[in-house]
Amino acid sequence: MKAALRNNLLALCILAVGLTVAGMAYAQTPAASAPPAAPPAPVLPATAELREAAAKAPTTADLQKGDPGGVITGTIGDVSAADAKAGVTLADAANQIGQNKVAINFVWTLICGFLVMFMQAGFAMVESGLTRVKNANHTYMMNFFVYGCGLLAYWLIGFAIQMGGAAGNANLGGLNPLSAEHNISLFGKTWGLFGQTGYFLAGSAYDVGVMVIFLFQMVFMDTALTIVTGACAERWKFITFSVTSVIMGALTYPLFANWAWGGGWLSQLGTNLGLGKGYCDFAGSGVVHTVGGLTALAVCLIVGPRIGKFNRDGSPNPIIGHDISAVLIGCFILAFGWFGFNPGSTLGASANGNLRIGTIAVDTMLAGCTGTFGAILYMWITKGKPDASMSGNGLLAGLVAITAPSGFVSAPSAAIIGLVAGVLVCVSVSFIENVLKVDDPVGAISVHGTNGLWGVLSVGLFADGTSNYGGSWNGVTGSVTGLFYGDATQLAAQLVGISTLLGVVFTLSFVINMVLEYFIGHRVSAETELNGLDIPEMGQLGYPEFVFRPEPAFAEAA
Amino acid sequence: MAASRSQGRSFALFLTGATVLCGGIAYVASGTGRLLSLVGAAIMVASLAGFLKIKPLEGETALQPSPETMKWIGAGVAALGWVVTIAGLHFVDGNGGRIIIALLGIGVTLFGILYVLPAAFNKTAFWKKPAGTSARAGLTRMAGKMTMEQGFTPTPSAMESARMESAR
Repeated sequence: MKAALRNNLLALCILAVGLTVAGMAYAQTPAASAPPAAPPAPVLPATAELREAAAKAPTTADLQKGDPGGVITGTIGDVSAADAKAGVTLADAANQIGQNKVAINFVWTLICGFLVMFMQAGFAMVESGLTRVKNANHTYMMNFFVYGCGLLAYWLIGFAIQMGGAAGNANLGGLNPLSAEHNISLFGKTWGLFGQTGYFLAGSAYDVGVMVIFLFQMVFMDTALTIVTGACAERWKFITFSVTSVIMGALTYPLFANWAWGGGWLSQLGTNLGLGKGYCDFAGSGVVHTVGGLTALAVCLIVGPRIGKFNRDGSPNPIIGHDISAVLIGCFILAFGWFGFNPGSTLGASANGNLRIGTIAVDTMLAGCTGTFGAILYMWITKGKPDASMSGNGLLAGLVAITAPSGFVSAPSAAIIGLVAGVLVCVSVSFIENVLKVDDPVGAISVHGTNGLWGVLSVGLFADGTSNYGGSWNGVTGSVTGLFYGDATQLAAQLVGISTLLGVVFTLSFVINMVLEYFIGHRVSAETELNGLDIPEMGQLGYPEFVFRPEPAFAEAA
Repeated sequence: MAASRSQGRSFALFLTGATVLCGGIAYVASGTGRLLSLVGAAIMVASLAGFLKIKPLEGETALQPSPETMKWIGAGVAALGWVVTIAGLHFVDGNGGRIIIALLGIGVTLFGILYVLPAAFNKTAFWKKPAGTSARAGLTRMAGKMTMEQGFTPTPSAMESARMESAR
């Protein structure tokens, strides 16, 4: 009775607080009165050229006959006139062109964002497939709930920290409401630290362009969060996972993303110190994948290896996942989603050099292919079999590595980057397991951490100086050019980025999770771990009709 | 204990506190914003206290306590490498020098991450103990006559055996 009363009171409190905060957010937003719907304006072109165009335009009678070839649909008659009496003016036509450009870019960015969102399904399948049946529900649920945890935290504060000072993107209409970056002055230069507008997407952030960039950046952030769940699967308390995901979505990820993408200090290395075009990370090898991979390493160290992973002599045991079909289908879903990840990072398909999206998509495809080859051949030659799970990881490693350089490199370079990544992931998995004695059930640290760093580095090596996104990058005129094409300063900027990822992002993640270890604890009990986490943590088996093979110790204890 | 109502309540409190705190930060220039920030922070602290209170109810884990100081030293070394890199940007003008200092900084950081921290966490790992000793006294009854590690190490299935064989 008392507990029920307490629960009800808590629920009421949460509801009241939520309504208060929502009310505050709403109160800051003046209700915009909807303009009255304008009647269709008769087209009376103002200039001779426009009048001629109008005269040649198909009539209503022509259109009523249908347009099977699509040759008469879309004419001057579809251009809205600001002043119905004046008819369509050149200004109207120019405004329509501008809006069309932004509309194309909105649609492109949103659709690519939807593709990236679908990658969550791929991650869920890969991670669950690589774990045992007794933990399937728990692993799927982590991948499911991380979406909500991340989205909530990002909406509350993460987006404001990351993009609050990111105004000036011409592709999406300027994003002018996001104009407040918190700066500090150091060594005689001004450096951006974090954004300050866009909390709750309220106030001036109630803007069409801001909403587009929020959706796109949110799904990127969630990709980083979900990397951690795979590395810590099969022994991570659901409550600690939930809390740390909220913190990562609110703080760790947005902070580094601001430094790289939101006008922060890493992006200013070019303008302030002459280091290339500043830190360049086209689609997030560093921002998304390395942040996720290094956080996974930090949590993996704290949570420790699974029971049975290591023998008395310290040698590792293979713990085989329950569903290789889920793993490989999940990898294909991820590869599909990556076509949103990389090409979508142009944030547009029209103007400002955005037609490079074709090159970016092909680079992405090629690197995934050569990554797969790298891993398969490495395993086949050294271990005797083309290991399926490592093949999947090779594909993902190639994709992770090409994410940062995809906007700046040629197809042959992309193939080389992917091939190196495919071999690197195999070597890294072995190193992490055999030397560091860190248990990563899905290889996430190697796929996303190691190859994320390789991707960041490869920008400084392979960028060929042919990309031209509006004539400048990070405020520095010219194209991103790496060491192999004559600009060693870009390599320096990339190394500073790598040092920041390792020294700041890892350390911050480690400290946060050590604090959570003190307050909540990361590891489930040994009994829970042996039983499988599905029943103790989630209350339901992932596969209730499966018959479990009892593990020796548990059978002994029973 | 695994998942429980208490955990759910504390998590709900944590999210409430986070929401209020973020609302406060959004309007921190105003008095109301600062008040909300304080209230939000207080709620979050209360939720952490709730977590701490129920933590002992969790059963014994398979982990041995390992030296805390060494972990913090490892984290410190990792952060120190970044400081070296940043200092290099200020004190060195040439690009080559900056690259060398950045590599040095990365090396220091990697030493902290790949050597100090794993050494700290693995210091009490069961494979570093003499054979026959139990990892956790409280768990030996579960493992019967076997040590926990021996017992918990699964017998390779046919598939695993084939995989290990092929690896050889």
